Amino acid sequence: MLRRDPLAHPEPLIRRVYAYVAYRVGDGPDAEDLTSETFERALRYKKSYDPSRGEPIAWLLGIAKRCVDGQGPKLELASEHAEVPDTSDIEGETVRRLTVAGAVGALDDRDRELIALRYGADLSARQIAELLGARTNTVEVALHRALGRLRDAFGEERDASTPVRKREASR
Amino acid sequence: MRYWRKRQEPFDLEAELRSGRPEPSSEFVHRLETRVRSHGRTRATGLRVAFVGALTAVMLMSLASVGGVGYASSAGKDAVVSVKRVVTPERVRVVKVLKKSAAIDQYKKKTKAKVKKVKKVKKAKKGQGARGRVRARTRPPFTG
Repeated sequence: MLRRDPLAHPEPLIRRVYAYVAYRVGDGPDAEDLTSETFERALRYKKSYDPSRGEPIAWLLGIAKRCVDGQGPKLELASEHAEVPDTSDIEGETVRRLTVAGAVGALDDRDRELIALRYGADLSARQIAELLGARTNTVEVALHRALGRLRDAFGEERDASTPVRKREASR
Repeated sequence: MRYWRKRQEPFDLEAELRSGRPEPSSEFVHRLETRVRSHGRTRATGLRVAFVGALTAVMLMSLASVGGVGYASSAGKDAVVSVKRVVTPERVRVVKVLKKSAAIDQYKKKTKAKVKKVKKVKKAKKGQGARGRVRARTRPPFTG
């Protein structure tokens, strides 16, 4: 019998893989390059996809993870160069988005990967556990801790941007 | 004031992470999607051709096993013959009428015995001719 094509509907897959990669390395051309590389590898090794082992998105994220890990120190996180947003000319939504990205960038690799898989690629804790070869419970606990750390980091990011906002508000 | 009210709302980090997840540019998505789809299309075409080839082979084999190929070829030949008969103009046949007479025996097909006799006679004549030529060579050449 003919196998099901894992890349039959590529658009949602591209968006999810990009979101995962962008949470890990930062939004921009690096994330685009890594997403392209992921899909190139996926096309090359399409035969290796086994539907019994999971959804196409999990398979693609496994490839994306290897691509990101392979890039290693060459990549620079967007958060390291993230500027404190100036509220005078940017909408509140964009400010919040940048602050979230900055806070995610401040996390360590492990936490960032968990956040990227859960909220970027929109995987469930069980799927993440399968992908990382861990227990679901372990992943849930690790995610909870990562969220806690992110909340702290986010608070710091917000505090850092508050004086600017206050200044703008007082004008 | 409005900003302050917004800040007072309970902050949902998970919703924030979901809604604020990085989005690729539509141009990038379109480019990559086209690339992926074009790759899939070429593979699908190859598979389709292979499938059609395999199906044809199976059909031919099943037909051959019950003598269908011979039947089809003879039917084809018959069709060609009948088409030829329709298309080509009819030849005018000349019928020879031989008068029955006593002399007709002379023009009968020769029997084997007669053929042999004729050959022998011819050979003998040839031999004489050869001898004559030898004799002629013994004489001095005619110089005029």
